[in-house]
Amino acid sequence: MTDKAYNDCVDNFADGVYRFIVKNIRHTEDAQDIVQSAFEKLWINREQVLPEKAKSYLFTVAYHQMIDHIRKTNKMPLSEDTFIPHQQITQADEELKQVLMRAINELNPIQKSLVLLKDYEGYSYQEIGEIMHLSESQVKVYLHRARLILKNKLSAYAPTAS
Amino acid sequence: MQLNESTYETIFLLYIDKELSPKEGLEVEAFIADNPSYALEMEALQATVLSSEKIQYPFKENLKHQDWEPTYSTIIKEDLQAIPGLSTSFKNTLKKDATTEGIILKPFGFSQQKFTYAAIAACLMVFLGYQQLTKAPVSNSIAANKTTLVVPNTNSTKPSDEIGLSNASPEKFAKVNVLVPKINQVQKLNVQAVNAKNIQRINLLQKESIAMAETAPANISINQNVITKLPSNYNNPISVNAIPIIITSIDIETAIEEHGQISYEVIDTEDPNRSIFIANFEIDGNKLRGLKRKVTSLFKNNKSDRK
Repeated sequence: MTDKAYNDCVDNFADGVYRFIVKNIRHTEDAQDIVQSAFEKLWINREQVLPEKAKSYLFTVAYHQMIDHIRKTNKMPLSEDTFIPHQQITQADEELKQVLMRAINELNPIQKSLVLLKDYEGYSYQEIGEIMHLSESQVKVYLHRARLILKNKLSAYAPTAS
Repeated sequence: MQLNESTYETIFLLYIDKELSPKEGLEVEAFIADNPSYALEMEALQATVLSSEKIQYPFKENLKHQDWEPTYSTIIKEDLQAIPGLSTSFKNTLKKDATTEGIILKPFGFSQQKFTYAAIAACLMVFLGYQQLTKAPVSNSIAANKTTLVVPNTNSTKPSDEIGLSNASPEKFAKVNVLVPKINQVQKLNVQAVNAKNIQRINLLQKESIAMAETAPANISINQNVITKLPSNYNNPISVNAIPIIITSIDIETAIEEHGQISYEVIDTEDPNRSIFIANFEIDGNKLRGLKRKVTSLFKNNKSDRK
């Protein structure tokens, strides 16, 4: 990977990696540190990383650094940010989005990462498995479980909303 | 793909995850159209999908690799703009000199790493110097004697053995070669073997033992080989093995008394006032000794810590 290709990676993937991390750990400074570490590692190993694999490499590095961070700090999930099913609604769509995010934040870190990688980044099961070091069938099973959990959370919210 | 009551949920999940082929996706949509009761189920599952959200990493520029580095001319140009008092002609002169791009001038041209290496080298020099300080200087009094040469024979224990240099071992030649140039006129060389015990003491005296230097002249009657004369045109010490040899025996004490040479200097290595010289620098021996003790204790402490 050339220097220019690396800079292109910064332009194209820094926001996505940051979004993935900050949505997971919900701490901006720590998320910025993880993103910086991921790009630092990409820069160090730029000779070995192909440009077409750079995005996957960045997400892989960032994900595992995030897991280490979570293990060290034991911050997940934040107790004050837990899911509240019967909250008052002001704007339906925005509120639904917030409720969904709160529900996602209640998932375990693996399920949460699966949902974020799938929905935000559009990775396939196989690509997610490569990033998270899981098999494709594991990704499928874990993600489907997460979807059903979210569905149940949202259905618990829906009667009040309606 | 077969959609029915038991399989629909999994297939719907694959559908919202976009893991189905376009053809399979059309089948799902057709199934929902034929069975509207599953539409709500599909809607509930699609509600779990996060919509795209734009979040920007705030320090993106800091992550990029910066190729640009200020050149000499750039620095000069910027600096010149900041100095209002300089005349335009002087600025132009500097600009002309600064047209060569490429090298950034670093203050003093000395990096932290170089400083570290220099400090290590200096410490090493001081340490080695102290090592030399603790050693006694080699006394050259015998070797410096212009008329006396000691050629020990370590192989023979009989005092009456007589050997010629032409039959001597390379070791003997080496000793002769070192000492012969100090002799001006020698015609004959007398060599008499001495016993091994005395030879060892002589060797120690010649090298570095101060204690031996103190005791040897008083206690030992040392036989030595004396080269009395060499041809005036003699230059090459290697050719000494071709010189005719006459062997005589001289007591070293007598030789010292006759020639009045200083035998050895007694050096007190514990003398705190003693200094060491490295090039033109004089280093206080007492302070250096203290430094050595500290360094030695440091290494010992590290070793004990590891244990």
